[in-house]
Amino acid sequence: MAKISAPKSNREFIDACVQSGDAVRIKQEVDWDNEAGAIVRRCCELGEAAPFMESIKDYPGFSYFGAPLSTYRRMAISLGMDPASTLPQIGAEYLKRTNSEPIAPVVIDRRDAPCKENILLGDDVDLCKLPVPLVHDGDGGRYVGTWHAVITKHPVRGDVNWGMYRQMMWDGRTMSGAVFPFSDLGKTLTDYYLPRGEGCPFATAIGLSPLAAMAACAPSPIPEPELTGMLSGEPVRLVKCETNDLEVPADAEIIIEGMILPDYKVEEGPFGEYTGYRTSPRDFRVTFRVDAITYRNNATMTISNMGVPQDEGQLLRSFSLGLELEKLLKSQGIPVTGVYMHPRSTHHMMIVGVKPTYAGIAMQIAQLAFGSKLGPWFHMVMVVDDQTDIFNWDEVYHAFCTRCNPERGIHVFKNTTGTALYPHATPHDRKYSIGSQVLFDCLWPVDWDKTNDVPSLVSFKNVYPKDIQDKVLNNWADYGFRGAKK
Amino acid sequence: MANKWEVFVMDLGELAEGKELELTIRTLNDGRHKYTYQRAKVEVSAKLDQFADSLQVRLGRGQLSDRKFSIRVIERVERMPARYL
Repeated sequence: MAKISAPKSNREFIDACVQSGDAVRIKQEVDWDNEAGAIVRRCCELGEAAPFMESIKDYPGFSYFGAPLSTYRRMAISLGMDPASTLPQIGAEYLKRTNSEPIAPVVIDRRDAPCKENILLGDDVDLCKLPVPLVHDGDGGRYVGTWHAVITKHPVRGDVNWGMYRQMMWDGRTMSGAVFPFSDLGKTLTDYYLPRGEGCPFATAIGLSPLAAMAACAPSPIPEPELTGMLSGEPVRLVKCETNDLEVPADAEIIIEGMILPDYKVEEGPFGEYTGYRTSPRDFRVTFRVDAITYRNNATMTISNMGVPQDEGQLLRSFSLGLELEKLLKSQGIPVTGVYMHPRSTHHMMIVGVKPTYAGIAMQIAQLAFGSKLGPWFHMVMVVDDQTDIFNWDEVYHAFCTRCNPERGIHVFKNTTGTALYPHATPHDRKYSIGSQVLFDCLWPVDWDKTNDVPSLVSFKNVYPKDIQDKVLNNWADYGFRGAKK
Repeated sequence: MANKWEVFVMDLGELAEGKELELTIRTLNDGRHKYTYQRAKVEVSAKLDQFADSLQVRLGRGQLSDRKFSIRVIERVERMPARYL
């Protein structure tokens, strides 16, 4: 594989974004109480450059970096690609790297780890010493973790998990967060720690390299430290925690160490989420007790402000969920031509392109998609044929509206797994992660005669001979029209 | 100095007057500890001059209620088991 030149830390990433015009340095003081959140939200809604806020009220020496991966340009920069790369190009690069050999992390000496430049232990531990923002007015609290990784390890199997589980500051030493029972951490807690009444060691890493954050966000079966190495083309540097045996990214800006309590919960939420709503009310949720905080000099806290499209929660999850489903379907020999989630679906609709070579192929795709580990995160699968450009919503929408038979093409799956964040779900279903899902089969039935039964698509590309198309395109400007020939 | 507090409730009926309540409240005083929580025994009143401290109310999805209260924090309550403190 060619040498990858991707940012290895959040700082390198910010520099690269500033250089390309994809981040803006804000010198004037910004208030952590709503103002920073409002700036990030507006940047997301406008598709603006990422705000790098260098002066935070009450917190001299700290800074914020907001909306780190809320555009495909910044996603390309994070991968060391040309910012102008197209989504299919970025997706192809992701697939190439994540289909390569895993790259194991390296553990470095704590004296070489930037995240150990400041260490707070014992009575010095106080989350209020960090510039934890109030992201949205009316949130249940200041959110420590919005763009981060909660790091845990299964004590028996040894698998390491980096996951993006939101974390709210309850008081100076306590956080609470939403951990769904079907998530990796949720399974580890219910499988091991909760039945035994044992605390689960955790570390929260904030201000990760963008590819470590991408790995933490990706629903890949590959362990996140290895996945980060594959994405960046070299081993991620880890360092051991101060108060437990977990290993954390040495170049992260801030590390919070502690214990998930097995038998005690405090309130969490409400919080504005990637669906564009505050869906679930405050409830007693998983509680994190903090034992240590370490951070870099002049640490930068990353902020994702989730809400209406589009933010990195939608963009990156759509990206990685779609590509991980593509890998899964191809591993089963299904002739998919591509999988795409439009970020504006708030990663709820999976669009699958496939060569319809046998009966029931759309149903097979939906069963695999909904039955997989990825399934709880979306509730709609739309299957279109290989002639439909899955990245072109106009084509997909046309296929949906014209080929999906209301009686035979819509299949509802009941009593599946859902998330507490689905706005359309009932309060009861949200509380117990009960879901329902739907397949929109937009394929022509294989038992229709292709010549006489299947309607013919009437489009410029489809109904005119090649020589006529070329003639019209070549003469387009001469006819008096403006714009590109194709 | 009067303190400012905030509470989240699903229903304003949770804020009964004339009796001791146990609530999870967060401080709205300016500074680094703003929005941190504590559990406390309190008394609330719709009469804004009944107690020195003020209480603002938010509903289930964070909506700010029009209703304001005054509040007296009687004592802090520690719910967390001692082994975790």
